[in-house]
Amino acid sequence: MPGTTATPDIEIIVEDIGGGGGGPVPPPGGGDDGGGGDDDESHRRRDWPASPRRYSTAIALGLVAILMFFMALASAFIVLRRGSGVWVTVHLPVVVWANTGVLLASSFTLEAARRRLALADLRGFRKFWMVTTVLGFLFVAGQLVAWRQLVAQGVYIASNQGSSFFYIFTGAHAVHLLGGVGALVYVLARKFGETTVSRLTAAEVASYYWHFMDGLWIFLLALLYLGK
Amino acid sequence: MATDDSGANHKESPQGGFLSRYVFSTDHKTIGLNYLWLSLFSVFLGMAMSLLMRVHLVWPGVHLPLLSSLENSPERFAALTTLHGSLMVFLVLTAAPQAGFGNYFLPLQIGAREMAFPKLNLLAFWATVASLAGLTTTFLIPSHPAITLWIVSVAVFWAASLANALNFSVTTIDLRGQGMTLPRLPLTVWAWFINAILGMLIFSILLAACVCLLSDRLLGTHFFSLLSFIANQPAGVIANAVPILWQRLFWFFAQAEVYVAMLPCFGLVTHLISTFSRKPVWKERLVVLALCGVGVFGFCVWGEHMFSSGMNPFSPLVFALLASSLGVPATILLISWIGTLWDARVQLNTAMLFALGFISLFLSGGLSGIFLARQDMAAAAVSDDFVTGHFHLVMGVAATFAILGALFFWFSKMFGRRLNESLGKTHFWLTFAGVYCVFMPMHWLGLMAHSRASSTSALASAASAGSAMRNFITVAMLLTVFAQGLFLVNFLWSLFRGEKILENNPWYATTLEWSVSSPPPADDFGPRDPVVYRGAYEFSLPGVAQDFVPQHIAPEQVVKARQSAE
Repeated sequence: MPGTTATPDIEIIVEDIGGGGGGPVPPPGGGDDGGGGDDDESHRRRDWPASPRRYSTAIALGLVAILMFFMALASAFIVLRRGSGVWVTVHLPVVVWANTGVLLASSFTLEAARRRLALADLRGFRKFWMVTTVLGFLFVAGQLVAWRQLVAQGVYIASNQGSSFFYIFTGAHAVHLLGGVGALVYVLARKFGETTVSRLTAAEVASYYWHFMDGLWIFLLALLYLGK
Repeated sequence: MATDDSGANHKESPQGGFLSRYVFSTDHKTIGLNYLWLSLFSVFLGMAMSLLMRVHLVWPGVHLPLLSSLENSPERFAALTTLHGSLMVFLVLTAAPQAGFGNYFLPLQIGAREMAFPKLNLLAFWATVASLAGLTTTFLIPSHPAITLWIVSVAVFWAASLANALNFSVTTIDLRGQGMTLPRLPLTVWAWFINAILGMLIFSILLAACVCLLSDRLLGTHFFSLLSFIANQPAGVIANAVPILWQRLFWFFAQAEVYVAMLPCFGLVTHLISTFSRKPVWKERLVVLALCGVGVFGFCVWGEHMFSSGMNPFSPLVFALLASSLGVPATILLISWIGTLWDARVQLNTAMLFALGFISLFLSGGLSGIFLARQDMAAAAVSDDFVTGHFHLVMGVAATFAILGALFFWFSKMFGRRLNESLGKTHFWLTFAGVYCVFMPMHWLGLMAHSRASSTSALASAASAGSAMRNFITVAMLLTVFAQGLFLVNFLWSLFRGEKILENNPWYATTLEWSVSSPPPADDFGPRDPVVYRGAYEFSLPGVAQDFVPQHIAPEQVVKARQSAE
């Protein structure tokens, strides 16, 4: 097998096995591509970057990190809630429940959009994707209304620990959700022509994030509601 | 943020201007080097600060240019201590082994041509620079805004580290070259990878803590009860509390660092020891498990601490110091190092010397950790000389030794020139002797302070012995710091005038970065993708002519000893 790897500097002399009769041994264990193929083929440089998988991996790991962020806050909430003798309850504004409905609905429209995309119905995809984006904005606006209602009641962020947690939870979640809205707008606006990322991948990654934000909100709401 | 990073396939030409070549380059090698330059700057700044502190402690009356502005106020001194700690721990011990060497060599060692998200990588680097600027500014402004700025800078640093950790883990998971299976990963990569995963879990907790601290300071919330307790006290009490607040805040954030800084160092040292012992890593699988163990242990200690106490920065400091002795996984690593060194033909070059120095420091630091584990002892010794000595020996200096070892090992790959070996060895022995002379008496001082108060005469003799010892420490420290000048000279001289490396693989090492030219080409591997055929530590195999077989050598290319002897 002479000449397949150019290693002039390595002092290991290439051994000639019986006139090169034996075919090249593919590296055991397999690589990223998985394609066994011709040796020359496998040595040639890949189209870089090779795998769109990294976006899914990144979003999965990123979501774990975001989860840890909120878990740290949630554990602080639970510890402080249990430890304090005088815990002033924050009555959740009614609009919060409406917001929750809006956010849940947005998850469904997002899935509807992805189904359209899988069927190559680009118009339908755009329509439902747009609806999802609008619902996302609506949710954030609704959360602002909830803040205004609390302020009108005289409940500020510094009023007590309960109100601090309400504002921090909703604020941090809204910031993360706005990131998700940004991703939705990006997928909608970007031209996926010759780029390395397909629209399918981008929509998939954005949808993971969005559903996660949805679930996270349910969790935070349950925490705030049960922790009253 | 990750989805819009599409610039990975775009390579800028190396002929671009200064800005595109160094400042805005998304090449992982450039970014890695930039991190190393940043660390080099920070380590000398931090060392200058420790010099100031030392001089201030021994001769409080002396007026030094920067020190006279301290006006001997404990608050300024605490701020200086915190700044010294932040620079050293965050920008040197965290940034250099992980972000610096990791960015440069992780893709090279796994057969990738880039990090997974190059633009994110660039962003993280400049965020780190911004946090360095912020941290340094805290010393120049009044205490109250300074603490806020410090927290913001630290938050920015963690956010950048989080982006880095994401990049590292995705790169290791998805961008490995052909044949680079998990068991074939070099232990350096394992350490970077496990550290990145640990970082993903820990750094966001730290960010949450930063958010709470900041909202306490800026929005008047009450997440940290003791902080609000301090805020409610009359002015006189606050003045006393502020220095403590500075230091406690630092420790609160630096706890997790013990693991984050040490993990890549373990990887580096294991790699060096195997390479220069010309032997495979003894019980390699077990070492990987031990590295995982360090990560899991680190997370548990931290997570438990954060979750159970509701992120209170004032829970016992001792806890962190106990935890820093790492326990079982450290023992496994130590046994593996000794097992690798056992009966080996050790090549005592500077890189290997620093790796062995790391083991020595780690061992003696660990032994003093046993003292700290005694509760009564620890309670008395906290924030005392003993702890200072222990912490610096086991973490600060040991990690620096690992970084220097890696630098001597990889310098030829990064710059195509060799660091001078005889200057390097002199530097090593001076530093090695110096740090023991500085930090061992410091342990002793701590013990004396503890056993004091038995009788007045003993007290007096102890105090006089103590002051003599303090002077000794100061002199030893001055010498050690000046010995670092030797390193700086060696570094700069070798950078421009050092012996040129003509071969790709001067150390006869096995991993993939040694299969390419020094410095590596812009796209790392040239026209062909590397293919990996074997594990990372195939040294001294029986029946093979050479005492090493690089990872990219196909089985049929290996020369059998029998045939080469004919």
